[in-house]
This record gives sequence, structure tokens and C-alpha cells, in this order.
Amino acid sequence: MIETNRSNNGHFAIEASNLNVHYGNFRAVKDINLRIVSQSITALIGPSGCGKSTVLRAFNRMNDLVPSAWAEGKVHFHGKNIYDDDVDPVEVRRRVGMVFQKPNPFPKSIYENVAWGAKINGFKGSKEEMDELVETSLKAAAIWDDVKDKLDQSGLSLSGGQQQRLCIARTIAVKPEIILMDEPASALDPISTLRIEELIQNLKEYYTIVIVTHNMQQAARASDFTAFFNMDGDRAGYLVEYDETETLFTSPKEETTEQYITGRFG
Amino acid sequence: MIDPDFITRRVEEDNPYPQGEEMRAQIGGRRRSGLFGRILFIFATISAIFILLVLLLSIINQSFGLVAQQEEVPEISIITDFHKRRVNKATNIVLSGEDDQALAEAIGQDPNGVGFFGYAYYQANADQLRALSIDGIEPNLANVQNGEYPGARPLFIYSSPTVIEEKPEVAAFLAYYLENLDEVVAEIGYFPAENEALNEQRTVIADALGVDNLSAVNPADFSGSIALGGSSTVFPVSQAMVDRFVADGFAGEITIESTGTGAGFDAFCAGNNIDVVNASRAADSIEYEACQAAGRDLLNFQIGNDVVVVAVSGANEFASTASREQLESLFTESVNWVDANAEWPNEAVSRYIPSTESGTMDVFVRTVFLEQTLSELPYDGLVSAYVANVSAGRCRAVEREQKFYDNFLICDEPTAYSAACAGGNAPEGCTAPPRTHKDLELLVQSEVVKPRILKSWYLYPSLFEREEIALEASREFPNAEVSFTSWLSLSFVTNPQSGTPELAGVRTAILGSIWVVIISVLVAFPLGTAAAIYLEEYADNDKWHNRVIQTNINNLAGVPSIIYGMLGLAVFVRALEPITSGAAFGILDAGATANGRTILSAGLTLGLLGLPIVIIAAQEAIKSVPPSLKEASMGLGATKWQTIWYHVLPNAMPGILTGTILTMSRVIGETAPLVVVGASTFITTDPTGPFSKFTTMPAQIYQWTTRPQDAFRNIAGAAIIVLLILLLTLNAAAIILRNRFSRRFV
Repeated sequence: MIETNRSNNGHFAIEASNLNVHYGNFRAVKDINLRIVSQSITALIGPSGCGKSTVLRAFNRMNDLVPSAWAEGKVHFHGKNIYDDDVDPVEVRRRVGMVFQKPNPFPKSIYENVAWGAKINGFKGSKEEMDELVETSLKAAAIWDDVKDKLDQSGLSLSGGQQQRLCIARTIAVKPEIILMDEPASALDPISTLRIEELIQNLKEYYTIVIVTHNMQQAARASDFTAFFNMDGDRAGYLVEYDETETLFTSPKEETTEQYITGRFG
Repeated sequence: MIDPDFITRRVEEDNPYPQGEEMRAQIGGRRRSGLFGRILFIFATISAIFILLVLLLSIINQSFGLVAQQEEVPEISIITDFHKRRVNKATNIVLSGEDDQALAEAIGQDPNGVGFFGYAYYQANADQLRALSIDGIEPNLANVQNGEYPGARPLFIYSSPTVIEEKPEVAAFLAYYLENLDEVVAEIGYFPAENEALNEQRTVIADALGVDNLSAVNPADFSGSIALGGSSTVFPVSQAMVDRFVADGFAGEITIESTGTGAGFDAFCAGNNIDVVNASRAADSIEYEACQAAGRDLLNFQIGNDVVVVAVSGANEFASTASREQLESLFTESVNWVDANAEWPNEAVSRYIPSTESGTMDVFVRTVFLEQTLSELPYDGLVSAYVANVSAGRCRAVEREQKFYDNFLICDEPTAYSAACAGGNAPEGCTAPPRTHKDLELLVQSEVVKPRILKSWYLYPSLFEREEIALEASREFPNAEVSFTSWLSLSFVTNPQSGTPELAGVRTAILGSIWVVIISVLVAFPLGTAAAIYLEEYADNDKWHNRVIQTNINNLAGVPSIIYGMLGLAVFVRALEPITSGAAFGILDAGATANGRTILSAGLTLGLLGLPIVIIAAQEAIKSVPPSLKEASMGLGATKWQTIWYHVLPNAMPGILTGTILTMSRVIGETAPLVVVGASTFITTDPTGPFSKFTTMPAQIYQWTTRPQDAFRNIAGAAIIVLLILLLTLNAAAIILRNRFSRRFV
């Protein structure tokens, strides 16, 4: 197993061991062993098709939505394998939130976008407490100032960057422990990207963040740990190297890592 | 680096694309094929619009047009008879008889007397009498001639320039008629016509005869034959004139008949040996055209006015004017004068009226009484008109079906009636509430008036071949009235089905259609949506049985509807009869036998028919909900059901509703399955619930088109228009609903 140098007192937010994910007969990723450190930002990088998104989606059983997908191996979350039969994927997703590549707010009002997740998860507070939850979530996602006067407007009326921050606010509102982000800034302009990156830095204080990115500068800038994935001869993705970001970018142990981060392939 | 010469070399040497002129020609070629496509599309659009237009026009063509209609008992005579009975039943009729002179003299002696008679008798006894003005209008010459006095009608004779030219003896007779008119009209007791108009008519005749003065015409100079026909009201004037003409030496043959005005015109226009028409009304446009078409342009001579005077004694100190309401009351219900007008004294009214047979009575009740259509007659009036005109047996049967009055019988023996009600198979009339005014009116229309359409014409001939139609009608149907009819009318929409096309309506069918559509949508929409959700969201499409289900649904959408009809008959009408007839719920009417041919069976059958359409539309709509939305929902910890309920369904709803609207349109137009399931061929009672017998618009249209009589095709056309309007209304409502719905979620 590839270990990071810093073990954060031996506490990991989520641990994948010998994880294989298949789509039908095709093995998409193989033998992933990865420990995500709590309250840190972990970036997953690698060339297209290397399975980084698949690994990310394995962390909250989002792959279950693909009918042909199935997983082998274990993903431990609070010491429990989330692929065990007695685990409800809904509970996993409730505690491991996700932000997607393309902003996907619900076709509802901005307020409803944030409040809906809370409602369906049995939020017990009063109307006032709900208002407060919406406000703090929007503030945490650094979008409150943009939308406080138009909470009843459609979430789709916002710009792309605002929509993505709304999606983050929506995720925060259900108070997950881990937030998975699948290339959250890839569909955005550079300024919006920067704001999302700042936001992620601030969120680190409360949440464990795993982020898939194509942008190596972003990974270098914004993350504490970086995992580099590559594709094998059988087109299955595997984990090449996992280390503190600084170490991985300055003195990679593997040659493919160096080739990738210096732009020689991928 | 790219060799800078590479691009130029490629362009010059081995460029695989056409260049220069060749390139332009190639682009032009592509454009031309586009132009060809565009012309094709325009042509297709135009032909589609043209075909639809032709279809619509042919429906409209059927729905409007001329009809020749004949009433067995004319409506007007029912109304007149009713009013005459009222007048004759009034209290304190001191004198009633043919002798107007006697009436006039008697009223003169009675300060509380009132009566009416021809104007001549009023004039003869003017010193003892006072004529009442009606609605403030005095019966004087000016008011009669300008048509304001209600109790007057103009009288005419008609001939034609052609006849005058061909037969000098007719011209001579007309000349003689006009010359001696004033004298004879006064003698008969009618009111003279306006002098100016008369003089014009005199000039016309004098010109035709080539004389300066009509008095120069001597009957003895003429021979030949003259025939008169037409109105019985004008008859006495013409008869007196004929007598004088012969007495003054006319050597030829002269005949006069009293056949009624309409028949007189028809005979004249058809050239049936009539030279002069006596008419108690002006000819209508159809009659004018019919005569014109026959080469006999109508020439009218107003010979006078038939005026009824309402008179009181000269000694009467209170009454000088009365409204029509007051007069009606005065000659019917009022016992004392004060009953008709609070300002009059509390003295008994003594009435002096002409006999029922006299024309004066007819004119009086027709011009003074207010109720002049069947629907204005009171309920009692309709009942008595009905009872007086149908056989006792028919009346009894109708009364057993539904009573006229709640607490007593009109036609049936009370003992026989209660015996029938006590029997095992009690008739409906024992429990049903009494008939409504509208029902009764229709009953009188269909069983007493019996308007019969002898022939109907489509709209285009009615518009462009009026003359030919008028001529044909006057030859073939001399007693019928030709009028322009819109088969599509308010009463067509509100009347129930009837055996006579002119009384038939589509109310029952519209209600039936609406019921059936509602039930079928209530079946197809939830079932179809649920099935689509299962198939799209839960079913594993790799499993063979799910693929079989999917294929089946796709094929079911194309199965001929008659097969659904067979299914409905076997399952809903027969197998589930206790449920679909309502027997299982105890809703069955007492005494009726369980019968599954109900609205419920039809609605369920058509619901099944629409089900595959809804499922397929809903599946497509569910498929088109973006997966990112589902992921967002699941990512927040929503369950699958929450995701479906809160995101998939609302976003798919516009598409699902579109499918439902399509289903609705198809269901409302279905005929074949309903014929199998058992739409009633003849039903006049409105459906009251899902367990009622029913018919629907298309079934009704289908039945009408299969009838042999022409007129049923006309009402079928009108019913198609109603169906189209109903369909458009329902669709518009559904589309508005859908748009409101979809706006909520964007």
C-alpha cells in the first residue's frame, strides 16, 4: 500500500483497499489502495480515462447508478466497508456529499435548491432554522452576497460559476463529512475557477475534500495530497503514486509521474 | 514547423476539392437541391391546407342551407287556439257572436263593457263607442298605414306584369278592382290602404291597358278566364269585387278560391292557372324569387288593412288607453277592471267578443297577445294543446312515462294509474318528477306540430341557386315553407336526441363524450405514468420479460381500436358486469336488469386504448430528464423514490401530459370500440353517472349518417362541427394546464 508521509495521527476519512470497479466485463480500475486524510484536500490527477472519476464515485457508491457497474474490494468509512450488504448507499451518500463536473442545480428556486436536501433528509428545525441553514450554507459557499436578494429566483438563472457554488452550498447544507468534487471547475472560466479554489481552501477547515482535476496547476496550488493515476495496458486505471502534493510535484518517485507532470504525455 | 509552402502547394497541385468556377457551380448545385426540397415542402403544406379546407367546407356545406318544412299543426294555430280558449273561458262574457254590429251596439249600452271587432263597426257606431289606444297608439288611418297600430295587418292582392300583358281580362279586372276598392273595402269593414301607394298602382294598370283613367275600363269589353286564389281574409273583398265585375257585364269565366296565402303564392308561381293571389301578408323573399324564376315577377297591390278595434262604451269614464299586457288580462283572467289596471274601478268586466270562428278573433290574439312562440306559452297552455291534439291512448302512455302535474292526472284514470303503479313493473312516471316546460315544449313540437322537413339543400346551392330551389319547392311542396336553416344552433347543442332531425340535438352525446373522456383519462394517465416509471426507472431492460413487455406496449399502440372494443365487451361488459353496471354497489335502478353497457365500461375500454400512448410518451419524457439531475438528487442522500417523485416526474410531466392530450384527442374521436361495447343507438336521457347508458358524439354522428333521410346528414354535419369545437376546447384546456404546470418547474 502506498502510504503518505503524514498520517494525520493515523486517522483517515476514507480508505480504499484492493478496490476494483468493473463496468460489465470491463475492469475500469484495479487494485486501488488509497487512504484519504481527514480535513485535507486530496487531488486525484491523471490522463483521460484512467479511472480517477470512477474511484471518486466509488467513495459514495455513486457508481451504483450505472446499472452495469460493480465493485470488488473494500472502502472503509468509519471502520465500516461501505460495500457490505448491510450498508444503505443512501446513508453513505448522505454523509459523503458530491459536487459534479457540470453545475447541476435543480430547476427550483435558489432557496429550494439548498433547502431540499435538508427537507428530504428529515431536517427537524423550524422555518427560521431552515432559513438560517440556507443562509449559512450559502455563506459557506461564498455566494450569499450574490443571491441574498433573489432567493426565490430559479437556480438556473445564475451564471455557471454561481451555479457551481450553489451546488456546493446545497451539498454543505446536508452536513456531510466528506465532499467529493468531480472536476468542479472544468466548465468554468478562470475567474470563477479561482473563486471555487479559494472556497475549497476555506472548506478544508470543516470537511475532507477529494477533488478530481485535469488541471495540474490547480492540483499543485490547491491540494495537500495528490494521487496520480494512470492507465495500464489492459486499459484499467491504477494508482501510480500518492504523496503530499509538494513532494509529488517536486520529487516524484515514479518515472511516469514525472513524465505526466512535466507534460510529456496525457 | 509547418512548411509555409505546404498550404499553397496543396491548393495548387493535388487539392481534392473543386476550385474557382467549379466550386461555385458545386455550391450552386447544392443550393438547387435545397430549393427543390423547399418547393416540395411548400407544395406539401399547401396541399395539406387545401385538403383540410375542403373537408371543413364540405362539413359547413352540410350544416347550413335551405329547407322546405311543413308543419302538420302549425305552431301559430296552436298558439292562436290557446289564446282563443283563454278568451272564451273568461268570466262574464255578456255577448259572443258573429254579428259585429250587435256587439258594437251592446257595448255602447254598457259602461263596464269592453269588446273588439272590425274597424267598420266601430265607425258605424262611433257615437256610442270609444276606441282604446293600444300601447298609446290610436287606431286611426295614419297609425294603421304606417304600421304602428298593433291590431292591424295589411292585405294585398298580387299578380305579375307577364300575366297582365298576356291576359287583358286580368288587367281589366285589376283595373276594376282598384277603381272600386275604397267602396268595397269599407263595405267589408277593412281599413283603406294609403292613397298615394294606391294611385301609383292604378297608374301601373292604366299604363298596361293603355287608358288614361281606370273608370274608362268596361267589364263588358272583355272575355276570357280569370282565376283568383289565396287568403281567406282577403276573400270577401275579392268575392264582392268578382260579383260586381260579373254584374257589370264581364262575359268570360271567373273563379275564386280560398286556399290560404302561402298556397296561393305557390300555385301562382308554379303557373297553376291562378292569375291573382289574395294575400293577407306580404310575399317573402323566397316566394319573390320562386316567382321570378318562373317568369312571373310579383306585382303587389295593397288593398287595405284588417284592423281590430278594442272599444268601450262612450259612457265609460276611465279607460281610454291600455297596454298589450292590460288588454290580454282584460280579455282573459281579469274579473274586475281593477285586476288589469290599478287605476280602473273595481267593477266587473263585461265582455263582448266575436265568435271563435271569426277572423277578427284570430287577428286580435295574434297581434295583441304577447306570447307568440311555443316557449312563451305557459305550462298549462302547452299541456292543453298537447292533450287536445293527441289520442287519449298516446296521452295516457306519455303520462305514465312522466307526469304532467305532480298531484293530478290529465289523461289517465286515477284508478288505472294507481293500479299500474302498484304493479310489479311500475312505469317510470310513478316516481319521476313532473315534466319540465322545455320537455313539454319538445313533446308538443314532435307530436303535435310535427314539423317535417320535406327536402333540404346544401349551403352552396342555397346561396347560389336560390331561384331554382324556390321554384322547385313551390312546385313540389306547395304547402311547405322554405326557409334558411342553420342546423348548428344553440337548441341543437341543448336538445336531446330525437327521431325528427329538426328537433334532434346532441346534448346527451356531448355529456356522454365528456364522461367517457374523463373516465378514460383517469384510467390511462395514472396507470400509464406508473407503468412508464417502472419500465424506465426500475425494470432491468436486460431481462427478457421486460423486453417482451416493452415490445408488447409498442405494438399495442398500433392495434386496431375495434379489437379493444372486443376486449371491452368480453371483460368489462360481460365478465365484470356486476361492477360496470353498478349492481355491485347497489346503484342499479329498481326494476332494471343489470347491464354492463355503461359509461364506465366505455371509459375503461378507451382508457386501455389510450394506455400504450401514454406509456410511450411518458417513457420518452422520463428518458429525457437529464441524468445530472438524478445524480444531484442521489448525491444529496435522496432515495430513488424521492428522486423520482421530486425531480424525474415534475420534469417529465409536460411530456406525459402531451401524451395524455394525444390520448384524449384519440378517445374523443373513437367510434368502433364503442359500437362494440354498446353505445346506445337511441337515447334521450342524459347520463347521470358512470353507470348510465350512454352515447358519444362520434357514435351519434355515425348513426345519423346511416339514416336514409337527407336531413340526418345535415345534422351529422352540424354534429361534426360541435365535435370539433368540443375537441379543440378540451385540448386547449389541457394545453393551458400543461403550460402552467411546466412553467412552475423551469
